[in-house]
Amino acid sequence: MLRVLSQADKNSAVWVLPPGLIPRSLGTTWKVVEQPKTVTFCTFYDTFEWGVWFSGHLLYNDGTEYILQTLTSGWPGTVECTEQGDNIRFWYDFSGKLMRQRLREYLGLRGLEAVATAVFTTQCCDLRNESGKIVCRIEWSCIADEPGRDPYFTSCKILPLRGYEDQTSHVVYRLVELGATPPGTGPFSLLLQRAGCTPRVYTLKPSFGISFETPAREAVGRIIATILTIAESNIAGITADLDTEFLHDYRICLRKARSLLGLVKNIYPLGETEQFRNQLGELTRATNYLRDLDVCALTYHEHLVNLPEPLHKGLSLIFSRLLTERKREQRSVSTNLRNKSASNTIQGIIAEISIVSGHVESAAFQQIGPLVFRGILRRYRKIKTIAQTINIESTDEKLHQLRIECKKLRYLMEFFNEILPSDKSQLLQRQLRRLQGVLGDCNDSSVQQAFLLGWWHKQQADTDSTLTMGGLIALLHQRQQEARLRINKMLSEFTDNKTAATFKHIFKLQAEATGK
Amino acid sequence: MKIISSYSIKGGVGKTALAVNLAYAFSEADHRTLLLDLDPQGAAAFYFRVSSAKKFNMGDTNSLSGGLRRNIRESDFPGLDIIPSSLAYRHFDIALDGMEKRRKQLRRVLEEFKDDYDTIILDCPPNITLLSENVFRASDLILVPVIPTVLSQRTLEQLDRFFSDEELPLDRLCPFFSMVQKRNKLHRETMAELTAAYPQFLKTTIPLSVDVEKMGLRRMPLLAYSKASDAAQAYRTLCSEIISLQENVCD
Repeated sequence: MLRVLSQADKNSAVWVLPPGLIPRSLGTTWKVVEQPKTVTFCTFYDTFEWGVWFSGHLLYNDGTEYILQTLTSGWPGTVECTEQGDNIRFWYDFSGKLMRQRLREYLGLRGLEAVATAVFTTQCCDLRNESGKIVCRIEWSCIADEPGRDPYFTSCKILPLRGYEDQTSHVVYRLVELGATPPGTGPFSLLLQRAGCTPRVYTLKPSFGISFETPAREAVGRIIATILTIAESNIAGITADLDTEFLHDYRICLRKARSLLGLVKNIYPLGETEQFRNQLGELTRATNYLRDLDVCALTYHEHLVNLPEPLHKGLSLIFSRLLTERKREQRSVSTNLRNKSASNTIQGIIAEISIVSGHVESAAFQQIGPLVFRGILRRYRKIKTIAQTINIESTDEKLHQLRIECKKLRYLMEFFNEILPSDKSQLLQRQLRRLQGVLGDCNDSSVQQAFLLGWWHKQQADTDSTLTMGGLIALLHQRQQEARLRINKMLSEFTDNKTAATFKHIFKLQAEATGK
Repeated sequence: MKIISSYSIKGGVGKTALAVNLAYAFSEADHRTLLLDLDPQGAAAFYFRVSSAKKFNMGDTNSLSGGLRRNIRESDFPGLDIIPSSLAYRHFDIALDGMEKRRKQLRRVLEEFKDDYDTIILDCPPNITLLSENVFRASDLILVPVIPTVLSQRTLEQLDRFFSDEELPLDRLCPFFSMVQKRNKLHRETMAELTAAYPQFLKTTIPLSVDVEKMGLRRMPLLAYSKASDAAQAYRTLCSEIISLQENVCD
């Protein structure tokens, strides 16, 4: 079993070697006894977000099993867990407890895909003194693109023997004379580079590089262009059906862009704004059904835990049908996305929105700061007004309206996070996220109930599935009720006098001070 | 950490072969093993191709343990380290004689290594000196190779008497038959007689083997170059018997 270039042994030292240096190069000073070479073809896996890489690990298959290994300063370290398996995509496709636990943390809902391959050749060598005693061991490693190709990276790991430290120093000295260099950044950046990929930070909350004084149209244009570019980067993942997060993120970006156009008004001509909003709304709606199916399908493992065992057979039948339906819908969505219309629409909006000249709307050249601050305060006050009408018996529609207003406020604060006073606004955003969390739980449960019931009425039901569907709806209803109970507490906290005073202090005073 | 010594008053009975091969067998069984060559002849270290120990001060316990630690050499085999002998060990008795509690100093020194090793094996010189007494008190087991001959029988009796006279723990004394020739009638008769007289004799016997003698040429433990030979199997069986004996004592 290969443990590629493992640096787990704290006593070992790694040196990067120049091309052509071979173990026999040390033969003038020591008798070099070479052990047989081990050649291993490895495939490396990661997600679209590089969750494995950024967690400080490598996940690869060496032809016999998957290996999760730590990565420190670009070099592999300890092997954390291993598992045999085929066609593994998600953390739950593994069966080992530790592997599942680790990958659940690193991958979330993301799916794994092969990002690079390489051939590793390792060879252990003993260096013996004149008495034939081993005084130092060396593990020689080469990395090549394919078997038989010249290696593009050669390194060696020196494994000292206790009591022979002077010999180890001698070996290092000799290797340096022959061109060896310290370990540097390790081989894996190079390996990925050769595979044509570079780990990059992926986020739905990027920095936009705007300031309080940036003209409104420039700021909004920059934000929308950035967000829509992220949306577009998810299209390939949706069509390849790598995981459900591509669609999730694609929709979030479209919604955010659409929302921003409505939140900061009078920047573009009204007709254009409406046109962009309609186009973005249409793109989102085209994926609604697939997202509903995704949301339901993702709850399978959770329901499996919460429903009693006699209902598991029915659960399996329901989800099997849901997955079939999802597959059909995914194909349909992919076909639409592949014909480039979505991409073209997005590109068209980005191009239009980025045109600097031509727009002379009233707010276009105003500083973005005061506009946003006034907008935030207005949204907060609207939430306060709605909050006064919310109680334990409020309708789902009323709660949904509150949720939408909260979302608009959150979007505004997130988009313009760079120009908000950090400490106090972070606290407000945390409170808002908590409130939105329970509103989201409540809404998700409500939407899922409605979706499942609507979908179920179109199915030919058997007894097992019908029983389970009853259980599922009851579970979702119970979860919705639990969320409802939490809403009032969160809402009271978010709209109390202290929070209102903080909002006023940050946003009203500053907007007035600078917005004259 | 267990300390096992390979000891006999008589020379040429297979003490060093036992120490070397037993150390190898213990490391094969995943015990972190240290072989301490106390015999100034340095044969055990020779078998591992390790050169003599560097000189160090033996004036007190601290310098003794520090000196031994500095002389630890990793062998060519995983999990097995050696402290080679030195001609300076001929002064061990004098050094120990000058210390307080002079009969128990070796145990104190070796206790320093308990975090690093599971088993320490001592290859002892063939005599009864103050160092030997330290070995007797330091060891959890004293393995005594006995060739089934009259002379060996006599030395075992002498050792047994010495233990009784000095009130040393007799249950630590573990004789076993070494260099046995099963076709030799005298060997068979002596073995029967000794087993009756000393029930603590270990069950495993080590046969006389030319493979063992080749260790000097190969300069490595028999178990490393002739894994399947009768003698190698016997050393492994002996190791298993000792491990189960220790487990039974612990139970």
